[in-house]
Amino acid sequence: MERPIAYDKLAREDRLVRMRAREVAQLKIDQGLPPFPDLLSPDAIKERVHGIMVGELQAMEGAGRTVYDFPDAPWEFTMDMARQVWDESRHVEIYVRLLEHLDGYIGEFPETTILWRCACAEDAAARVAGVNRGLEGLACDVFNQLVHIARKMGDPILERAVDYVLADEITHVRMGSKWLTRLTEGDPERRRRAIEFQETIDERFNLGGIRREGPHEMVPISIATEARREGGFTDEEIARLIRTTQRSAVY
Amino acid sequence: MSHPLAGHLEVDDSARTVRHYRYAVERMTRILGGWIALTPELSAKLLMGRHVWDNAQHADAWGKRLPELRAAAQVSEPASAGLVAFMDALEEAEAPGETIERLVAVYRVLKPHLLATYEAHLARANAVYEPPTCRILARAIEDERRHITAGETVLRHLLRSPELERRAHAREVRLWTLLHASGGVTGTEPVTRASAEAATAPLSDDAAEFIRLERSTTEWRIAPELAAALAALGEALVAGDPTAVRRWLSAETVPGPEVTARLGDARGGRHRVVAFARVGAHRLVKLRIDGPAQPITLLMRWVSDGADWRIAALETVSASAVQPA
Repeated sequence: MERPIAYDKLAREDRLVRMRAREVAQLKIDQGLPPFPDLLSPDAIKERVHGIMVGELQAMEGAGRTVYDFPDAPWEFTMDMARQVWDESRHVEIYVRLLEHLDGYIGEFPETTILWRCACAEDAAARVAGVNRGLEGLACDVFNQLVHIARKMGDPILERAVDYVLADEITHVRMGSKWLTRLTEGDPERRRRAIEFQETIDERFNLGGIRREGPHEMVPISIATEARREGGFTDEEIARLIRTTQRSAVY
Repeated sequence: MSHPLAGHLEVDDSARTVRHYRYAVERMTRILGGWIALTPELSAKLLMGRHVWDNAQHADAWGKRLPELRAAAQVSEPASAGLVAFMDALEEAEAPGETIERLVAVYRVLKPHLLATYEAHLARANAVYEPPTCRILARAIEDERRHITAGETVLRHLLRSPELERRAHAREVRLWTLLHASGGVTGTEPVTRASAEAATAPLSDDAAEFIRLERSTTEWRIAPELAAALAALGEALVAGDPTAVRRWLSAETVPGPEVTARLGDARGGRHRVVAFARVGAHRLVKLRIDGPAQPITLLMRWVSDGADWRIAALETVSASAVQPA
């Protein structure tokens, strides 16, 4: 098997429509819609849940590739990534069922593959920094807010299920924090490159200022400070993330 | 009757056997992980996703057992060059259309062989001084039975035609021949395989549910006017009528040369909608045409002007998966 694979080899059933994130955002803007679904209507929540579902799918695929792509990495690293594959595959099931709960279906919205592209980094340290800390960190932000909104809406199914997924995601962030350190021990240059990669992902997923510090009802994606701390982010890192969201250009 | 302290393996031989198990299981773990991204069907993706972790835990348990047998921890060792060749052959099915080959390799060849090997080992292991090994064997046996049952369920779901059955059989025969020639996972035992008749209930790997999720998109809510437009476009394409096709294009939409060239392949085929997504008021539709030539899948963006639906963009995309049953 090829190792690693090109990002365009990601296999999909026909029922999913794949599009560039930029193209989807532009189509929405052209129609006077926000580029990223807010959480202000049931339809927007459904679209957000669909986006998370395909993200979980890609996270499972990415973690699976990490198990395969790095046979020389420490065995404990492989174990953590294998565990993550299992978690993500359960998350896919959870989000497909939540889609059903919200009267949606797989393929109702286009799939963008930014997450998968990030999961194709060639260095294991960059991959855990980008995916486990950058993207799973974003997942903590998004899920934390979704739990809050579900509670407010009085939807205990959504609230409970997403809260369990959030707990798993914090674990994945923690794995990322641990392996970023261990894999780059004695190699500050590798660490610097991995962190830089994570920062480019953070920057990209600030989504033109959509992710911000603030109350769940007031900002499209609020930064989950507590969950991030539990995942091993330092206060300095969280402060830096907040600063970068403030300087992101509006899409 | 043999003495209760009689055994069939020396300590060093036991460690070697454990390293052989670990080789097969570790490689299987990595291969399944790598295949997930290359496999289109949701049921198979979820199946592999669930089993990667169980397999990793088996490899880990074998690896941790090794120092207890005076050997280095977490070391894998193939039993023979033939087994390496078998695993290489198992791994080679990586095209999106080869899900059947992937599942057959793991769930009809390797896992049934591992199960038979573990069962034979457990039956012979000494109950007084080998319980640490027996416990790992017992857990792995239970998991492998469950895995084989789940894998077989997904395989039966995907094997929808005699041609696919033929491919599955050919794959099984080829790999089984290689495995047999290799001497199997341990290199010392008769190469056998076991069925999973005594499988326990699913444990987070309910294959029937994976299949249900794969089939969950049963119908799309397509506005009647758009449904009529899609049907008319499909008919125009299979009739090879470019004038009737152009009727559905917006004034600004000009198909590229690649699309135009492929449209000729649609003549005489059958058309059906295979994806229906939305971006705001726009609708993204995949229309698949299976005809005498290669299948074509058109991805179109349809926009309504209030009275009529028109195609604002279209392109051909590759079809990489079998359709949900």
